[in-house]
This record gives sequence, structure tokens and C-alpha cells, in this order.
Amino acid sequence: MENAKDTFYITLRNRLGTVNPNRTMVMRALTRPGILVEEAEASTARLPLDVFVLRWTKLTTDAELPSILTQLTCEIHYATAGTQANAGLDRGRALEGMDDELLQILCPSSTPKMNYTQTPAVQMGTSVFWSQAIFAATTITRERLERLATVNVFAFQEQGEK
Amino acid sequence: MSWDTSTQNFDDHALRMANALLRANGGTAASLLMPPAAGDTTDAAQLGLNPPNFQALPLSPAVFRKLRPTMHEGEPARYELLISGVAVQAAVSELQLSSADALFSIAANVAVGGELFLIESVAVSESMGSVYMYRLLLRDSTTGWQMQQSQ
Repeated sequence: MENAKDTFYITLRNRLGTVNPNRTMVMRALTRPGILVEEAEASTARLPLDVFVLRWTKLTTDAELPSILTQLTCEIHYATAGTQANAGLDRGRALEGMDDELLQILCPSSTPKMNYTQTPAVQMGTSVFWSQAIFAATTITRERLERLATVNVFAFQEQGEK
Repeated sequence: MSWDTSTQNFDDHALRMANALLRANGGTAASLLMPPAAGDTTDAAQLGLNPPNFQALPLSPAVFRKLRPTMHEGEPARYELLISGVAVQAAVSELQLSSADALFSIAANVAVGGELFLIESVAVSESMGSVYMYRLLLRDSTTGWQMQQSQ
């Protein structure tokens, strides 16, 4: 399952670097695309602005198939307060921009599964694929506009894979 | 309409007084857990595979105290950490950062008395536009990890 989660994140991160190279963040002294896996970073009091945060939640399996099919639910949280130049009055547009970027980086909705525990990463025998994003209603917290998009990620467990 | 036209030259009396009071009222040390200056550029670092190698940056004098309990079910205890402006300025200079805000935003967590805490917010106390004390609102970490104590 870790391979599927890792592959999904790295795929989205690489696509985001192409779709919007300006969406970057500084995390642990490095500038990188503005997307992170919540469980792989230090805990924070609140989620950062203008960054996609992946939160893994549910897990279900289907053992009726020749290989076990796992379904992982990924919550993608993002929030914006607009830009300082526009005094935040563009926060609606900024959120819509992030919605659009998310739609773009989720398409196409499959990629070969990779094993990132090895260096360099090794391609595995199956693919990771995912559903369309389900966008929740905008949440307004003072000047912050927040959105949650939910994606179901599927992958087959390969022989010997944990 | 009138306004204050008196001469108010800044000197560092507030800074020195805060330093002395913090030293006298506890004078403990807190450590910010800082990522290494040369970040890990590998994919593994972003996937939780590589250790982050956080380094402890001791700040002293500081006073650490529990905030008045609010008695909300399930809510973690909150703490306040008062840090001398002198210590923070020294740390900002040492790491060649632009500001104290940058320092606290880079820090992953805080260790006090061998325990780990999460930073909720940062506030400052100023005298004539100059910061003499930083106030960090902290939250209990649920890990229970014992951290190495700073001297």
C-alpha cells in the first residue's frame, strides 16, 4: 500500500511542477512544488495556505480477485487567502485556480506503480489508478477559503509487497 | 488635537530587563527543532523514508508555564513559552535568517525539559518598536517522546 501512496504523491507532485511551476513552498529548507503528504511532515497547528495537503484516511480491500485490490481514500485539503497584492479580494479566484490545478494533475488517472524505497525507484508490475475527485463545498474560516477533494486510489497488491 | 512630541530614544533597557526577569523567573532553556540548512532533495525525504535529522537550536533564557486550564473534554493542554528577544536575535543572526518569523516558521517543534511540543502561534512584546520578548503558544505532543535536554 505504501508503494501506491508514494506513487500517487510523486505523480501529483511532478505534474504540479509542470501545470503551475509557480506553486511552490519552502519545506525543511527546500523549495519544492506546493504539495505534501501530511503524515510525512512535522505536525502543524493549521494547514499551510496555497498548498495541496494529502491526507490518507480509509482503507478497504477486495480479496475476491486473483490479487488483492486495495482502495485507499485520499483527502486533498487546500486553502487560500488570495494574494497580498490584491488584499485577499482575489481569494475566490485563487481557490478556483487551485481547483483547476487539481483537476489537471489528477488527469490521466493512472500511472505505473513505483517502489521508492529503492534508489533509484523501481517500476513495479501493476499500475495505480484513481477515481475522479469529489469536491466538497467551500469552507470559509474568516479570510481563508478551504476546500476538501476526495479521491479513491486503487492498487493491486503484488507478490511480496507489504 | 494633540500628539506626543516627547523625545523617546530607543535603548535596550527593555531587552535587558526582560532577559534578567526571564533568567530570574525560571531561566530554563527551550530547543527549536530545526531542519538542516542543506535540505534533503531526494523523493524519499518527502515520503517519510529518510530521517529529517532535525537539529536542536537552544534558546535561553526562557520561561515555560502551563496556561490556565479551559476544561474542554479531549482538548490537549496548552503551554506558554516566553523567550528572551536577545536569544532569538542571536539565533536569527547565527542562521542568517531574515526575521524571527522565518525562524519560527522553519522550526518543526519545540523541546522543553525533555518533552516535545507543537507551536500553535507566536506573539511578541515590544518596547518602542523593538521586540524584547517572544511568546510561543504551545500544544502537547501526543507522541510522549523523550527529547535530549538542552543545556
